[in-house]
Amino acid sequence: MQKFFSNKKLIILMILIIVTFGLLAVTVNIRDKKSTPPVVQQIGNDVVSVVGGVFAYPTNAVKNATSEFSDLYNTYTENKRLKARIGELAQNQAKLEVVQEENKKLKQELKLNSTLTDYSTVNASVLSRSPNSWQSYLTINRGQTSGIKKNMPVMSGKGLIGRIIEVDKVSSKVELISTDNELNDKFAAEILGNNKNITGVVSRYDSDTGDLVMENVTSTKNIKKGQSVITSGLGGLTPRGLYIGKVYGIKKDNYGMTNSVYITPAAELRNFTVVTVIKSSVSGEK
Amino acid sequence: MNIKTRKVVGQVFFLLIAFYLDGLMKWAFLNNMNHGGFNVLPQLMLMLIVMLTMRIDDRRHLIILGIVFGLLYDSYYYGIIGLYTVLLPLLMIGIDHFKFLLLKNNMGYDLSIYFLSLTFLQSGIYLLERLLQQTSTDVLDFITYTLGPTLLWNVVVFFIFYIPLANLSSWMVKYRRDSK
Repeated sequence: MQKFFSNKKLIILMILIIVTFGLLAVTVNIRDKKSTPPVVQQIGNDVVSVVGGVFAYPTNAVKNATSEFSDLYNTYTENKRLKARIGELAQNQAKLEVVQEENKKLKQELKLNSTLTDYSTVNASVLSRSPNSWQSYLTINRGQTSGIKKNMPVMSGKGLIGRIIEVDKVSSKVELISTDNELNDKFAAEILGNNKNITGVVSRYDSDTGDLVMENVTSTKNIKKGQSVITSGLGGLTPRGLYIGKVYGIKKDNYGMTNSVYITPAAELRNFTVVTVIKSSVSGEK
Repeated sequence: MNIKTRKVVGQVFFLLIAFYLDGLMKWAFLNNMNHGGFNVLPQLMLMLIVMLTMRIDDRRHLIILGIVFGLLYDSYYYGIIGLYTVLLPLLMIGIDHFKFLLLKNNMGYDLSIYFLSLTFLQSGIYLLERLLQQTSTDVLDFITYTLGPTLLWNVVVFFIFYIPLANLSSWMVKYRRDSK
């Protein structure tokens, strides 16, 4: 026995391996199953993110300034195109107001308090992106104190970009829709057709083309290129009607069995500094 | 505050700045999110850590620095604890152990040590994440799309910033030389 414990280096190596795998397994499990990380980790992350804000705000300012510059460059052509659509927009807005009013009255009539399309929003600014190739995380400066919960969907100005994966007291992490993680990249979605909406699950990100892939589609008969894809609200914490992108094309899988719909995401996933967290009014399954 | 604490505070301060710069650089300049493919990971903190390890002789001090910053990195950027927390101190002990082979600090030595440690760290993280099924990337894709571009970018940055970094890190540990 004396001899067995005398080799100090072996003992250290053994302990090191146990500690490594123990820590990794415990933290991965906590991340996947618990709604918040342990308090110590929360406090640590919060302190780091609050101090990080000092560095993040000037960076975001520079980022905004550069994107404004490139915007300026495209202004002329964009202006022409936008002018053509502005009349249409005013008409749509008026119509939307009337329909919303009508919808509210009808809901009262039916005694419906909240449906899948009701949600409130929280704005947050981005503090950093993790220098890491597989967990595509953003850190944002809002947390539990703003009512953010795990698995809430997150939008940038244009469309869906991901979902909350970890919530601390005053900061949280967003996992981007382009992630590799198979547990967390699925959104229940539907394609807006002329007469009938087609539902499916956005379940994969094709990193070669930058497209989202929608699988388990009910039928591909009436899908056309350019149709809009929105979240269907059938998955719990995600409300209905968040814009994901436009249909790009349909491909069969390797065995020719199922059809996948390829979607060009609306959000650019790059040129934004502010994100919106969506809080659904209907609480679904946890 | 005596000179030793002042130097340690300096080390922690600059390491923290490098820590934040990693995330901000990735966010502001290097995120190619819509067109997949190449994945460049800025590793400025590792750069400073390697430079410091080449110059600090106190092994206990190195291990504490490694564990503290490893924990920070894991918790803030990865959300999984145990990657940097273990690999960073291991790496620092390794460098410290074989440091005596190097006659003096010059750019070639520093650069090759940095290159080796970056490869070690990224491959270690890849292996651990693959083992825990956090990623499904295969080895060839990892080398082509992550390791290669990361090494290239970081070595170029190291090359550019070598002189200020070397001066800074020598200054941060200098009192030892004077007192000897």
